[in-house]
Amino acid sequence: MEIKEKLQILADSAKYDASCSSSGSKRQNAFGNTSFSGICHSFSADGRCISLLKILMTNCCIYDCKYCLNRKSNNVKRALFTPEEICSITLNFYRRNYIEGLFLSSGIIKNADYTMELMIKTIHLLRHKYHFGGYIHAKAIPNCSEVLLKKLGLLVDRLSANVELPTEQSLKLLAPNKETKKVENIMSYIKNNKSRKFTPAGQSTQMIIGATKENDLDIMQKSENMYQNYNLKRVFYSAYIPVNKDKLLPSLTTPPLVREHRLYQTDWLLRYYHFKTKDILDEEHPNLNLLLDPKAFWALNHLEEFPKEINTASYYDLLKVPGIGVKGARRIISSRQHFKITFKDLKAMGIVLKRAKYFITCNHKYFTNLSYFKKNFIEANLVLEDKIPPINSNKQLSFFE
Amino acid sequence: MNTIYLYHDNFISLLCLIDYLLKNKIKPDNIKDTSYNATLLDEVIFLKIKEDSNIINKIKKNYSYRIFKIMYEVYLSNHDNKELIIYYFFLNTLKYHQDVIYHRNLRCVNLALKIAKQVGNEAHKLKGFLRFKELKNHILYAEIAPDNNVIYLLALHFKRRLPHEYFIIKDKKRNIYSLYDKKEVYLISEDNFNLNEVETSQEEKQIADLWKNFYQTIGIKERKNERCRMNFMPKKYWQYIIEMEDEL
Ligand code: SF4
Repeated sequence: MEIKEKLQILADSAKYDASCSSSGSKRQNAFGNTSFSGICHSFSADGRCISLLKILMTNCCIYDCKYCLNRKSNNVKRALFTPEEICSITLNFYRRNYIEGLFLSSGIIKNADYTMELMIKTIHLLRHKYHFGGYIHAKAIPNCSEVLLKKLGLLVDRLSANVELPTEQSLKLLAPNKETKKVENIMSYIKNNKSRKFTPAGQSTQMIIGATKENDLDIMQKSENMYQNYNLKRVFYSAYIPVNKDKLLPSLTTPPLVREHRLYQTDWLLRYYHFKTKDILDEEHPNLNLLLDPKAFWALNHLEEFPKEINTASYYDLLKVPGIGVKGARRIISSRQHFKITFKDLKAMGIVLKRAKYFITCNHKYFTNLSYFKKNFIEANLVLEDKIPPINSNKQLSFFE
Repeated sequence: MNTIYLYHDNFISLLCLIDYLLKNKIKPDNIKDTSYNATLLDEVIFLKIKEDSNIINKIKKNYSYRIFKIMYEVYLSNHDNKELIIYYFFLNTLKYHQDVIYHRNLRCVNLALKIAKQVGNEAHKLKGFLRFKELKNHILYAEIAPDNNVIYLLALHFKRRLPHEYFIIKDKKRNIYSLYDKKEVYLISEDNFNLNEVETSQEEKQIADLWKNFYQTIGIKERKNERCRMNFMPKKYWQYIIEMEDEL
């Protein structure tokens, strides 16, 4: 098989994995380095950042996960890269500045350890024969042995394992060969061994959204637990795209992209805005509002905490204002020590007032008559202003990572 | 009459001039480099000032690296009055020292910060969007046409990244080249440099095609989102991004 066809098959079968960031690592070698803040080299037709050569080593697989294109029972063309082929493509692309590095995952060929050893061999060649210093993210193969995890972790910037589905029940249903516990073992191992040498950029994971019946509360609780227990850098949410027909799978025509977007926004709130899942979702309201972003929705339902006075509110209170982010809040804090901030100044400081203005005062002045500070007035305006695309939830805000 | 002060077309010359003007409490109507075409309304003054590169260290030491970086980035911008903006930014720096960056309520400070950010953003974008091709003699060659003069920043980035490669970057808008000879980065204007052979090898086309094919494959058609792509990768860069050539 020609290399072009191989690349086509093995990129096509890797493309559903959402994790593509390349930040958080400082590495310098004779051939290449990593950029701590991450660099996007291109954007694909779906608007996602391309920074890594994202491929599978092989799409052969002994497992039969229902949602996966590469499952054993599918009749698709199979291919397998040799280690040297992967090195050659990576180096040639890297030199021309097409990519930041390599993302290597794989279907399971023969068994988990055999597959891992092939991956290790490939990456070892890259690092030690070709002195490649670019970014490498590898996916650990579930059920592999610890010795191999250790070896691989010492070669790559990021090593991660996908939980795939939010509950053990769903995993049993759709990926009968996988076990949540095994994935969690890998995650704890990585967490416990992380150092400057071992997976310096940490780990991430991915969950498929909408293939099974979990609600947003289930999903965010799972994420929250994983952030706490395994020190994950990111959880990626991947709207389910039907590639197979199966009576166990939902028959969707379009992937749940808006829902995915709202989950990413909630995820931001957990990681950078000191929110907890229970602030946003509960048994009575287990799903996110699709019309409003979760912070605006939360603020609307807690109007008693607003409006916040820009010149005196604490950092954490500023973060609760819809439309004010981490950078904005920091900017406000450092500026107001030097002058009293007005609405005009906020604009000059680059803070978008479109949504924020309903929730703040500047020197005790509201942007309009304070009698408008009412739930239905604000809600109507917010819904009008919240248009979904072209936001890409999957973008890299390198500043935070 | 507009009093215009001139500097040699380089950053150190500009900083030394501004430093001199501020020390002598001179308020210029504008500051321009020597290529400036004066009009009848201009009074052009070209002072003989000792130009000392130490001024950069002084700024870094007395204020902060950040202040130096802002001034430098504004200098690299394509803003018409960038020199005057640096002058007023410098003036406020004398007053507020390193805290000047928090005074966004001052128009000139805010403007300087904004411009610096734009320049930084463009440089960062191009670190990703720039595409090298390999010439027959194995030298890597890239063309760009940025809004701001970021070629030197890019060359330094690639020097760190590919220390054992020769490379040439050409800014087609400004007709300048940046060369790297595995030791140093040089900036050369077109007049002093003749690059007649930009012929690429056969292998080059194969690798570019492989990449284009990868690019086509990696997009998920069920998620197609043209507006989002445009947002992150504006069309003005497409002509130099090889995988976008065919879509132009
Ligand atoms: S293990 Fe499951 S998800 Fe992974 S390649 Fe095999 S079938 Fe697909």
